[in-house]
Amino acid sequence: MKMSVYIIRRALLLIPVIIGVMTITFVIIQAIPVSERVSSYYLCSGHGAASPCTPTIPCAQGSTALCPNPAYEAAIHQLGYDQPIWTQWGHYIFNSLQLNWGYTGSQSQASHAFALTGQTPVSTVLSYFLPYTLELAAISLFMILLLAIPLGNYSAVYRNRPIDQASRVLSFSGFALPGFLLAILALTAITVISGGFGAVCNGTSTPYAEWHNSWPDLGCLPGGRYPSWIGPYLQTTPTGFPTVDAALHQNWFLAWESVKRMLVPALVITFGGIAGILRFVRNSMLEVMNLDFVRTARAKGVAERQVIKRHAGRNSLNVTVTVLGLTFAGFIGGFPIIENIFGLRGIGLVLTYAIQPQFDYGLIFGTTLLFTIIVVLANILVDILYAYLDPRVRLG
Amino acid sequence: MATIDPTAPSALLRRRGSTPRHPSPRIAQMQRTFYFLRKNTLAMIGLGILLFFVIVAVYSFSYPAPATQLQLYCGTYTGNSQPSGPSTGCISVCTSPPNIVPQCGPTAYPVDQFNPSLLPPTVNIGHFTSGPLPLGALTASPGNNYFYNIYAGLIKGAPWSLGLSATIVASGAGVGLLLGALAGFKGGLWDEFIMRVTDVFLSIPGLLLVIVLLSVLNNSIKIQIGATNYGSIVVLLVAFIITWWPIYTRIVRGQVLVTREQKYVEAARASGAKSGRILLKHIVPNSMYPVFVQMSLDVGTIPLGIGAIVFLGFHIYPTLYFPEWGAMSALSVLPIPGLLTTCENAVAACQFFPWWQLFFPGITLFLFAISVNFLSDGLRDALDPRLRR
Repeated sequence: MKMSVYIIRRALLLIPVIIGVMTITFVIIQAIPVSERVSSYYLCSGHGAASPCTPTIPCAQGSTALCPNPAYEAAIHQLGYDQPIWTQWGHYIFNSLQLNWGYTGSQSQASHAFALTGQTPVSTVLSYFLPYTLELAAISLFMILLLAIPLGNYSAVYRNRPIDQASRVLSFSGFALPGFLLAILALTAITVISGGFGAVCNGTSTPYAEWHNSWPDLGCLPGGRYPSWIGPYLQTTPTGFPTVDAALHQNWFLAWESVKRMLVPALVITFGGIAGILRFVRNSMLEVMNLDFVRTARAKGVAERQVIKRHAGRNSLNVTVTVLGLTFAGFIGGFPIIENIFGLRGIGLVLTYAIQPQFDYGLIFGTTLLFTIIVVLANILVDILYAYLDPRVRLG
Repeated sequence: MATIDPTAPSALLRRRGSTPRHPSPRIAQMQRTFYFLRKNTLAMIGLGILLFFVIVAVYSFSYPAPATQLQLYCGTYTGNSQPSGPSTGCISVCTSPPNIVPQCGPTAYPVDQFNPSLLPPTVNIGHFTSGPLPLGALTASPGNNYFYNIYAGLIKGAPWSLGLSATIVASGAGVGLLLGALAGFKGGLWDEFIMRVTDVFLSIPGLLLVIVLLSVLNNSIKIQIGATNYGSIVVLLVAFIITWWPIYTRIVRGQVLVTREQKYVEAARASGAKSGRILLKHIVPNSMYPVFVQMSLDVGTIPLGIGAIVFLGFHIYPTLYFPEWGAMSALSVLPIPGLLTTCENAVAACQFFPWWQLFFPGITLFLFAISVNFLSDGLRDALDPRLRR
């Protein structure tokens, strides 16, 4: 099979999975009372406060008798909630595939924190914050690979020696510590180390506030204001990836500030997510080192260093690629907490803001869908990468 | 290298009994497994810690129920003796929210009433170090600044943590076993359907599925026992089980696919055994080992997951006093950002960092998770002949 055919086939398999995920969210949404779902769509708000989005309203001004609410009925009809469940499902899938994921609520913390006005589409909000999360994920993945591959190889080569035990204990520790605890300790440490308590940036900010944000305080910026390519939601243009955009505008100060604020969270994520992949690298390296071609290489008199690096290491890497998707799905689930603690403006932060003090179902479901799509796409990328590295996969 | 030849189980077993025994192959296999598990130091350490926690959980039922709200005041410790009375250095009424700890003078520290029925004096955390160390005080839920004793909470929380973890993992594995065996054994459309659904569930990051389910099922179930509504706990259980079954389905199905081609299954079929019997007596028992490994791995992560959702602000407390370890840890982390802000704005108002609130629940969670990790690693090594050393 040619590579292009393989990629197309693999991409087509994406569709049923995405529809399946949307079906799951559709089923879960059915558990929300209809009245709550309707009120989250603002359809009744056009009729003013006298006509709240409840199934019944007082029949007359000051009356205690309750009559059906025409605005509510109209909203039900407009949203299609009076249709058969299969029709509703079809509409939901159709809308979701078109990125029509509903609107943000007015009560959620996200609306206040990001100054969203009433009826913002969820997909628009998420598009502001998605690139940041992707950049953080990329940095974290890079750090995980940077640490896990050499450590795993060393563990395998020096099997059961101190370095092996140390790397195992390290990876276990990351797995066994709750992410929020680790993150808050790291944040406290970096706050204290970077200047202790007291004001910074000409008295406009504090070290904690500085580290609990994805951009520096205005007082720390030359000129005291953000450059024009940083938008009202602190999203950046043109690509949306903060560091990339800063580099594109040749604002090296902000590029460094942006990366700096991601390094500590990425380290925390790395520490938590390294266990699985480290164990896998070690095992696959152990397996490869027993294979014939490694023995042949040694017999030919290739230096041990070269055998490990060129022959065994390179071949064990192929297998490691297969678990990358799993690792990615594992650590991206921790993003809401990390982004919340470090105040990073990604979709994880949006999710945590959508939970308290009131559920913003549109944002909660939208974020979940988006995270799932990221994971699914990452899995497909990994599959394609693997097929590229190991042609047996697509030819066999 | 190991001195024991793994291919000679009978020689191994003969050492223990006076007469040679010939147990059935499966028993012999189990005995071999336990032999290799015993050889693994880390696994034994893990088992030891786990057993200690189980003992604590049993002990906790005879432990006096702590008060939901401690009467905190500022006192001073003098050596190992009980704290002296209220200090004159107390700045404010010590129980007043939103302070996580009463603000005391430079020499005084917040202490509880030191109620002897609440804390056995011999195991007072405050006596761990020579210096004065406040007892743990913790907010019981976000927004409600009830204080309670960390030591008592950790003891009382043991059955909650262990029980919830065990229930969730056992139920998830049960569902996974059922569906995985069905998919692997029946094949065809069954297999296709079950595995596609499993794939879809597996592609949703675990914590997010729990969050979505909790946000929807929030307060929808009421189970009143006495004055306590256990609905939130049931919702928590349901959300975690729905999240945790797919991985087991995938493991069991893969294992069943291998097992059902074995000679002994063929032999059973040839001797006229019915499908149900083959499945239950031959295939499922022989597919269980990877499930055990995964279960022991997952048990440790459940309290971490519960902590994460408490941190995100889900109210899962059936009572005001819900000392689940993960929840305790999360609640102890929640006030820290506020504290850091306070400290930076007014350094004088901030006498100390309440590290004990983070440390004791954190170390308990850590020990629990790492013990089951060690055990799981040992199990994997013992059950997989290729990894034995």
